[in-house]
Amino acid sequence: MDSAALLQFAIAGLKNGAIYALVALGFTLVFGSTGIINFAQGEFFMLGGMLAVFFVRLGLPLPIAVIAGVLATAGIGLAFERLALRPRRDSGPLVLIIITIGGSMVMKSLSRHVFGGSELSLPAFSEGPSIVVAGAAIERQAFWVWGLTIIAVVGLTWLYSKTKFGRSMRACSLSHEASRLMGIDTARIVMVSFGLAAVLGGIAGVVVAPLTQTSFDVGARIGVKGFAAAILGGLGNPIAAVVGGLTLGLVESMSIAFISSTYKDVIALVLLLLVLFVRPEGILGRATREKV
Amino acid sequence: MRWTRRRLGITLLGVMGIAIAAVPFLTDDRYLLKVLTFVGVNAIVVAGLALLFGYAGQISLGHAAFFGLGAYMSAYLTTTHQTPWLLAVLAGTGIAAAGGLLLALPSLRLKGHYLAMATLGFNEIMSVLFVELRGITGGNNGLSGIPFPSIGSFVIDTPAGIYLLVWGVAALAFLGAANLVRTRPGRAMRALHGSELGAVASGVDTTRLKVQVFALSAALAGLAGALYAHAVGFISPTQFSLEFSILLVAMVVVGGTGSLVGPFFAAVVLTLLQYVHALIPGLGNDVASVIQDWEVDISGMVMILTVIFLPGGFAALVRRKRIGVAVDGETV
Repeated sequence: MDSAALLQFAIAGLKNGAIYALVALGFTLVFGSTGIINFAQGEFFMLGGMLAVFFVRLGLPLPIAVIAGVLATAGIGLAFERLALRPRRDSGPLVLIIITIGGSMVMKSLSRHVFGGSELSLPAFSEGPSIVVAGAAIERQAFWVWGLTIIAVVGLTWLYSKTKFGRSMRACSLSHEASRLMGIDTARIVMVSFGLAAVLGGIAGVVVAPLTQTSFDVGARIGVKGFAAAILGGLGNPIAAVVGGLTLGLVESMSIAFISSTYKDVIALVLLLLVLFVRPEGILGRATREKV
Repeated sequence: MRWTRRRLGITLLGVMGIAIAAVPFLTDDRYLLKVLTFVGVNAIVVAGLALLFGYAGQISLGHAAFFGLGAYMSAYLTTTHQTPWLLAVLAGTGIAAAGGLLLALPSLRLKGHYLAMATLGFNEIMSVLFVELRGITGGNNGLSGIPFPSIGSFVIDTPAGIYLLVWGVAALAFLGAANLVRTRPGRAMRALHGSELGAVASGVDTTRLKVQVFALSAALAGLAGALYAHAVGFISPTQFSLEFSILLVAMVVVGGTGSLVGPFFAAVVLTLLQYVHALIPGLGNDVASVIQDWEVDISGMVMILTVIFLPGGFAALVRRKRIGVAVDGETV
């Protein structure tokens, strides 16, 4: 394989990796403030793309439709937390996880009823031919993927480390009890983190829709991969999610280049299981010991 | 007092068992018998899942894949290698158990609910493999011409016979599970669900226990899948999707924690939901297709509403009335 072809695969890997990173960031956010894995994260991805297509079909101009798609997804995320999770917020993680599983089931199925069962596509954000770098062609949409991922990571890092709200979120991830005693409105923190997770999932879904098409049933698979990325990097901080996402994307596209494209989806899970087996705290995570 | 309740319960179970066994002698509607056979198949899976969820406190989103593993294994062996039926079914059960062990070992070493996500991934992987391993699975076309169950020259080829076979296995699965929860591992599981720390402190090897229960539930799913394959004679990848896995979880969640009877009834009701037209003769096909179309939405909503308003599921509702004490699914 010549270097241009290899570069082409690497670019594809980084492009998919950035998408996994965005989804992984959503997992990290919700895990941070609630300690649960949000099984509806993949559905936020699906909703972002589907809603944007829906708004384009309503006749809205593309930029407005894209923003409306992401905002509507955020609204659904907030409503889901408020209506389904808040009533049981003092329950253990098992109950909350079941609610997110039920939520993903309903979101997916309702989407099929509302948007139909076929694959839908969204126009590219900026028109024009691919840009050729050292013999490898890069779609213009890929720059949108990378740009939005960078903005999301920088924004989240800033939010986490520099704002009062971010410090409250970090406090919540340590202890809800103590945070409440310190006067932090933990219910609001949890709701906002679901909203932000929905925004991240929605952005990922909407920015990738012009590249791959989208349909009502894409949520589960992207959810697993995003989660694998989050675990790979180490659940907890935004940088780790991005490192995990890009690593997963690269491994996946190199396996397409050197092994076969049929089993690319298998790679992500095998990687997930390997990490769980060998280094459960992830590449960048710190090992913690459970005290008994 | 407890004695009479216990006797009442056993009497009710006995009546139910007789009623189930009597069905094929009361009707010769082939379609109805087939539908009720599917209910029995799902009940076998739910027996294992009820142990895993309701007693060991773990969620699996991959049991459709174990079900599929059992179905494909048994179908492949009988159609291409002429393996005797009983051996093939055992092989299907075995491969599902092995798969369960392989998946549970890494993910259950950790705290938290990594297993749920790992099983979801596993289901997606198996969905790919069921299509791609064409030499064994027949790809998207699936496998057809799967022979009826037979032992030696004795062939079970009537709907009534298959119904009785499946429900016989289902009865054994539930009796076995009921026995298990009353013994030492069952008490250990309950302790685990109550408080993992407490169970560890009492000397329960919780990881080992969780792995064992998971493998057992995977084996039951594989067994059910193998029985299903020989009951319908045709299998294809779409039957073993993630959606089926989630539906199975909905059955045990709605049925309730710490109970076998609750999940059993939930399995019956939620399975029959998609075949209402077989039960109610006057029901038009259009009504039936609307219900089939909205089945996932209905099950999902019922699951969420159960967890919000009825923690511990319907089994807890019955229990609460009986004992007069609030039983929370989390703190039993």
